[in-house]
Amino acid sequence: MMLAFILLGALAIVGGVITIAARNAVHASLGLVGTLLCVAGLFATLNASFLAATQVIVYAGAVMVLFLFVIMLLNANQPVTSPDPVPYVRELAGIGGTLLAGAFVVLAFTYRDPRPLAESAEALRGGTAMVMGETLLTRFLLPFEAVSVLLLVAIVGSVALVQRPAAQPDGVPDELEEPLVTAREERVAAPRGAAPALMQAAQDGEVRA
Amino acid sequence: MVPTTSYLALSGILFALGMIGVLTRRTAIMVFLSVELMLNAANLALVAFARSWGDPTGQTAVFIVMTLAAAEVAIGLAIIVAIFRKRETTNVDDLAALKG
Repeated sequence: MMLAFILLGALAIVGGVITIAARNAVHASLGLVGTLLCVAGLFATLNASFLAATQVIVYAGAVMVLFLFVIMLLNANQPVTSPDPVPYVRELAGIGGTLLAGAFVVLAFTYRDPRPLAESAEALRGGTAMVMGETLLTRFLLPFEAVSVLLLVAIVGSVALVQRPAAQPDGVPDELEEPLVTAREERVAAPRGAAPALMQAAQDGEVRA
Repeated sequence: MVPTTSYLALSGILFALGMIGVLTRRTAIMVFLSVELMLNAANLALVAFARSWGDPTGQTAVFIVMTLAAAEVAIGLAIIVAIFRKRETTNVDDLAALKG
């Protein structure tokens, strides 16, 4: 157990360092995938099997695929090389981060478990979907419903945000704006290789019309 | 059984790493990645506390945080794509129109 914790924890920290230090955005996101998978393993060692599965599916799967899509879509894997507007920001952030980590570690070692760990780990019943579902649909019912509405809003919002602006309506229906004669001539002149039956049907329709 | 304190210390280290990333990275997407790292560190601490108290409430809270993070990523990346279309950049130094 201790060995698993040390291995997973070390790998998670290595992945985190890659995430914040890699020049290439794709490498950084792959480092984060490593960290997320290690955290999923740590969840499994903490009697949270359902959360471990969710972490792999939602985070390492869906969220990171979205990140990689956007990185490749925006071609954002070139590093920013212009001089930093804040002087010594890297050094200051490094010092601040080290101090913060040290403070957290000192704080962590002041924590005392309220009762023996084996006993409380037993009370979690493995953290399966059944245990989580019971809590989620009793004590957490309102947050559960609120989150479902939030997800709906997020879906609609992201679709609305990335939509390209629609053409301005000018009062003329689109099919009338196209020059009608040219379109018909093109259709007749088109070679009949691909779908002759379909083409024939379209022409028959025109004749009948 | 690994003590809760070790998990909390690891969580603190990951959180500090994420903070360094937020402060030093200059592309909006990379800042986002670092925020994800911080969220995960907080989740790890919550799950460790849940085991320490023997109460599945902490794990349920982590589940809801995960859902929130997924919604946040969807909206955030959509905003970044929209900004990129308008300004052709995702460098946070160039997106300082609301500065001051």
